[in-house]
Formats: sequence, structure tokens, C-alpha cells
Amino acid sequence: MFKSDKSKKKKKGEDAKGLKYLGGMLLSKMAAGGAALLRRNAEKVNNLNVFPVPDGDTGDNMRMTIESGIAALETLETDDIAEVMKVLSHGMLLGARGNSGVILSQFFAGTYKGLDGVEKADPQALGKALEKGVEQAYGSVMTPTEGTILTVAREAVEYANSRINEASTIRSYFADLAREMHDSLERTPELLSTLKEAGVVDSGGAGLFYIIDGFNRVLNGEEIEGGDAPAPKASTVLNTSFNADSEMTYGYCTEALLQLQNKKCDPEKFDVDALKVFLSAIGDSVVAFKTESIVKLHVHTLTPEKVLEHCRKYGEFLTVKIENMSVQHTDLENGEKQAEPATPPKPKEKKKYAVVAVCNGEGVEDLYRELGADEIIYGGQTHNPSTNEFLDAFSRIYAEHIFVFPNNGNVLMAAQQAADIYKDAAVHVLASKNIGMGYVALSTADFSCEDAAMIEQGMKEAMQSIISGYVSPSIRDADLNGVHIKNGDTIGIIEKEVVVSSQNRLEAAHVLASLMLEGRYMLTVFCGKEADEMEQMALTEILAEARPDAEIYFIPAGQDIYPYIFVAE
Amino acid sequence: MREFVIYADSACDMSPEILAKWGVPYSSLTFRFDGEDKEYANGDMVSTEFYDRMRKGGVAKTAAVNSEMFREGFEKLALENKDILYLGFSSGLSTTVNSARIAAKEVCEAHPECKILIVDTLSASAGYGLMLRAVLDKKEEGASLEECADYAESLVLGNCHWFTVDDLVYLKRGGRISPTAAFFGNAMGIKPVMHMDNEGHLVNVNKVRGRRTAVAALADKYTELAVTPDKGRIFISHGDCEADAKLLAKMIEDKHGVKTEIITDVGPVIGAHSGPGTLALFFVGRER
Repeated sequence: MFKSDKSKKKKKGEDAKGLKYLGGMLLSKMAAGGAALLRRNAEKVNNLNVFPVPDGDTGDNMRMTIESGIAALETLETDDIAEVMKVLSHGMLLGARGNSGVILSQFFAGTYKGLDGVEKADPQALGKALEKGVEQAYGSVMTPTEGTILTVAREAVEYANSRINEASTIRSYFADLAREMHDSLERTPELLSTLKEAGVVDSGGAGLFYIIDGFNRVLNGEEIEGGDAPAPKASTVLNTSFNADSEMTYGYCTEALLQLQNKKCDPEKFDVDALKVFLSAIGDSVVAFKTESIVKLHVHTLTPEKVLEHCRKYGEFLTVKIENMSVQHTDLENGEKQAEPATPPKPKEKKKYAVVAVCNGEGVEDLYRELGADEIIYGGQTHNPSTNEFLDAFSRIYAEHIFVFPNNGNVLMAAQQAADIYKDAAVHVLASKNIGMGYVALSTADFSCEDAAMIEQGMKEAMQSIISGYVSPSIRDADLNGVHIKNGDTIGIIEKEVVVSSQNRLEAAHVLASLMLEGRYMLTVFCGKEADEMEQMALTEILAEARPDAEIYFIPAGQDIYPYIFVAE
Repeated sequence: MREFVIYADSACDMSPEILAKWGVPYSSLTFRFDGEDKEYANGDMVSTEFYDRMRKGGVAKTAAVNSEMFREGFEKLALENKDILYLGFSSGLSTTVNSARIAAKEVCEAHPECKILIVDTLSASAGYGLMLRAVLDKKEEGASLEECADYAESLVLGNCHWFTVDDLVYLKRGGRISPTAAFFGNAMGIKPVMHMDNEGHLVNVNKVRGRRTAVAALADKYTELAVTPDKGRIFISHGDCEADAKLLAKMIEDKHGVKTEIITDVGPVIGAHSGPGTLALFFVGRER
């Protein structure tokens, strides 16, 4: 199914020995190649979904994660491999989305640590570093599962490292690595029965294989086609009403990534709070936080030049973005669509509690707003928000405690990673895997309670006391859990088990609802984009007859993918 | 020694038949539907009809017992040479007790030999009925007017009212719940678990998901607070939802082996404010 690259495109006259050392410049190119190959195959990876439902997005998540690393490399010009790996992995950490994306970013972050400051790496040094990467990837998940991206990374690194000898070159090392990744990937169904049942290999492992195979192909001189990075966002300033006579009233939204430099300061001891004080003196909506030796900062100010001048005392900028907010403002007044809204100023009074919810439909957003959500992050099955998107949302809030409601198991890790990084509030990430769980938890929360831990505990208990079900179209034939599924059927899933498959969607929904209501008395139905009103009425009638003692509620949520999400309690 | 009678008002939600059997004279609060002049007392309209009209959007208005009505009732007893212990509907919800005080003063001035004692039960519906029954028991044991009044006072803070409503809109509309207590979010299927506090006000204690959970939460309150869970006296009242009332009684019986003594309607004068689907549990607890 997956062919590792055995192309013979080796350029003539190139280093016949196959490279003894890998430097930063080449690594940069290889990473771009890895991203490109994954980009070309992202859809294929998306479709490696255990459930035959069209919600796979591992390919996109991993692609966006590595692209975030590549973007960070853009302005970097050094041949120091540790330096390149540091920027690459840090960019990936910030851009990580989805479980596989987070694991991927941890793999690269660990590899960077394992390079231990070497400027150019021979196969031994590289092998040692990748071992660290594997270690950190395993450490990033609570309960590592074999037959996943973790196994693929580990087995490939073990194999490639075992083959290192005096004749080894960077090229031979990556050839071994890619080959074994391919073989290990093919073995994942043997380790994970859910993959075998579904007839697929692990999607995260496949994404990793494409990336490393891309590395390998670049080493072999191949140009990877069709993988152009998406064009940078078009400037928002097109038809602006800010002109020669306009008043500068709103200042500049100024954002930057500042690389602290040893020759200018001690990055470890750099005082972010002092920077915040400085920024607050010249502007508002101040956000600044440090990860390792990089500071991310955000401020609205009339004098962005002061920000640049001040910050350069401590280091150099990786990126700087300065946008005239009067332009954003006037364009808004003119009804122009704003590409990126300005960060609203923080409220003066610190709230005790705030809520951030991830959602993927206007209906869902309204629901969460009604329940008191402060910030909404768009995403879910088809677009997993990155760690950075969470950090941005947190930074727009001024509260002691932030409760975060993901809407997908795959969003959880990025949220947790952001919670670990964020220091200005205590962030509590709830393990809500769908809109229903988040809704139940938030609707019972008592925010008049002084004890955040008690609120969190109450919400956790509320989520544990319910079961979730999904009505979804099937996108291929499959036999799962003893249920025979035909492509195009509607399937009903309780938690992670397919329980029914039918050509008739109403029947599938009815069977699923009846099963879920066994021993329960309340069913809340979250209706998606594809929901049908007549169907809902028919379902209500059937259930009212079968279960007169049960309550049933329909909520228009407008989610993607699933016409209905059920919560029974 | 002069005889005395225990006097009540219709907010105790004990039916005219029961009150007659218990030998309790009473005055009636009244209600009418918006846009109509006709005034009714509890018992003038069957509960199912009353709640049907509410479900169809009918808005019922209520009036407290006025002092003249009490004066008539008290004076009749004074003329029979009887003293009176009036146990009244919570002053946190109605001015009825105050009307009784004014009437009592007038009647005592006209009949200096007559003694009228008044106890604000800070209770409502069958919770008020429950206290009434307990004081009647004390009287039947031979306690004096003063002893019965003291006993009634001693019961007030342990007289538990726990209830749920189907929709808070009725309590909000009648101003029977504070605006902050009425703020509840808009989530579907969320039900309040409420009680009456030590001042006789209705307060929102908890919110749960689903009616069944709310019914179970009331039963749990009995377990948590009842002084003698295995032999306590239980009254339940309901706003046209008898099945839920029976379910609640069964939940408690299954757990503690104790039968509910009275299941009754939440009468229109209280139902006008709590609405159809109100389910209330009353018992003697360590605290309210």
C-alpha cells in the first residue's frame, strides 16, 4: 500500500560517499521536502480512519504541524543543525494540532534536545538524537499504544541505529529509517486490532512515514512536486479607507516572536514580567510568554518602534507583524470582511472563571455563548485547532481560571499542551469529546462556587454519568463489532463501538437511541447540518411510544459530519 | 379552661374535606384568571382544569386573605368563647399572616377575654399542612394553647420543603423568586432543585439534568436531612403530575421502607406561582 522511495534519482557527481555529516541548511531543505510529500498525501492519510466515517484529519493535522515548523525556519540562515532543529521543533510545538501532530512535535522537540548542541551530525549523533525524540514522543502520551505513530518511530529508529557502522552515511541512515518506517507501518494492524478490523494502517504512522520519506527523497536529490506551501495570506489592506487625512487613533496591533540571544542577555533568566510592564506602559492588550528562549509578544500600541527597539536589547526577531488597527477598524466600519480581528482589549476587572470552547458550527457557538462561554475557537473533526490558537484565546481572557472544552478527542492534546505553557491563569482542560459532553458539563456547572477544583470535579462527574452516540454516514464497507456495514449505510456508534448499520437513517437513529436509553431517562439530540426535521418528528413519536417515561430534547447545533449526536443520561 | 381551636388558611393545600375531618376552620386565599373578574378559592375549580388553563397560557393572579375575612372567621369563634391558635402561610411569600395579625388585634379589642396566638409557619403548601398536622397531634395529646404555639414555633426551622418545577417562568413572573435565583442559564432539560429557606423564601439550591434526576435529588434530600428516615412523616404535593409524585414516594419507600402519608395537589393559589409540573416533598429534618 505504501511504497517507500527506491527511486534512482541520485544526481550524478554529488558526494559519492553519501554524506558523512548532516548540517542545518540541508536539514531545512529535507524538512521542506518532508512537509511537501505529506502535503501531497494528506488526503490519503486522512482517509486512514478506523471508523468508516468521513471525519479523518490526521493528514491535515500533521501537515499543518510541520508547516508551522517550516514557516519558523523561513528567516533562519545557519548551517548549525541544532539551531535549525530547535527552530523547526519549536515552530512545530506551537503549531501542533491533533494527537498525531502533538506527538510529531514532541518527537522533533526530543530530537532537538538529543542533538545536544552539535553543529553537524554524523549518523551516530543523529541516531542518538532520534532516540531521544522517540523517548519524548512516548512520554507525551498518558498511555502509549503500540501499533501507532509511536511504534513506527521507535522501530524505525531502532532499526536504523542498529545498522550504523563505519561505512554509514547520512543517506544510508535515512534510507534505512524510511524503509523500516514503511515496513513498521505495514505491521501496525498486527499490533492494533481496531486497525486490522477496519482494514487500514495507522494514520499517524503513515503521516510520519511520508515526512521521513520526504527527508530521504530530498537527500537523494529528488524534487518533490505538487507540494508548494500554501501562499502566504493576502494582505488585509486592499481597499482601505485609511488615507492621507486619516487620524491614527487605534494604534498598531504588534506581534512578534523574539529569539532571546545569549550575547545580549541570559535567556534562561529573562524576565517576561518586566517586559509586560514595559509593554503595558506603551500600549494595552499585552500578552507575552516565553517558551525556552523564544518570547511571543502581542501589544496594541501607537509606537511599535519602541517595541522593536526595546526587544532588540535582548535578542533578534524571528517574525514581526505590525498592523494598523485603524485600517482594520475603518474596514470593519465599511463592512469589509476582516481577515484577522484585532485582539479586543482585556476587560479591566479580572474574572474568577472563564470558559473557552472549541466548536464547529454556528448553532454550537450560540449554544456555548448562551451557557456563558467567553471565547470560541473554531475547529473540531475537520480542523483541529493548534496549541497556538488555544494560547491566543487564553490571552484574550482576563481570569483566574479558564475552563476549556474541546469537542474532539483529537483536540485534547493541543489544548493540554497550551494549558501547560500558559502561565497567566490556571487552565483546566475538560475531556469533552463532543459537543454533547461539553454542553452537559457546562450546563450543570455552578460558577457561584468559590472552589475551582470543585467545579471541575462536578463537571467531570457530569460527563462521566452520560454516554455519547453518533449517527454518521459510512464511507466504505466494513465489518466492525459484528455489524456488517455497507458503503453508504448510516451507522450508529455508542462511544467507540458501532452498534447498528442500516440503509434507513431513521431506523439507525431509532435503534441507537433505544439502546442508549436502556436504563436511562433523558436523551439530548444535537442536530447537525445534515439533520432533517421530519426525521426528528418521527424519532420523537417512536421514542414517546416506546419510552413514555423518558425526556427527549432536540438542539440545533449545526455540527459537521454527524447528522445527530446523542447524549443519554 | 377555655377551649381553643387551631385555625389555618388555604395555602396549606389540605383539601376542604381533610380540614373538615381534622376540625380546622380556615380562610381562603383567592385566585382569578387574567382578564376575568370571577374569583375562586381552592376547591372551586378542580386542579386538572386549573393547570390545563395554565398550560394553555392562562395567567392566574392570586390575592392574600384580607383582614376582614379573618375578622369574620375569628369573631365567630370568639363568640363561641373559644381561643384561637392561627398557624399562617409563610410571610416570605404572602401578606396573609399580617392580615391575620390586624384582624386578631381588632377581635381581641372587641372581646378582651379571647386569646388569639399567631405563628408564622414560614411554610407553604403541604409543608404547611405537615406542620398543621403535627400541632394538631400535640393538641390531641392535651397540650394547651401556649404549649401548642411554642411547639409550632419549635417546628419551623426543621420543616423541610424540597421541590422542583418544570419551568421557572411561573416563579419569576409572580416575583416569588429573586432575580439572581431565577438566573439559571438556558440549557435544555436543566431542572432546578429548590427549597424554602429559614426566612420562608424560595431559593434555588442546585441544578440537575432531567426530570428523573430532579425527582431522585428530592428523594436524596430526604435521606440526607430527615431526622428519622425510617419512620418520618412525609407529605408530597404536585401540580398535576401525580405519576412523578408516586415515583418520588416509591423511591423513598424503596430506600427507607416508609410510606408517604398524604399525596395532594398543589392548589391553585400556590400553583398559580409554581406552575404545572411542580413536585414538592415535605418532611421533618435536622435543618431545612
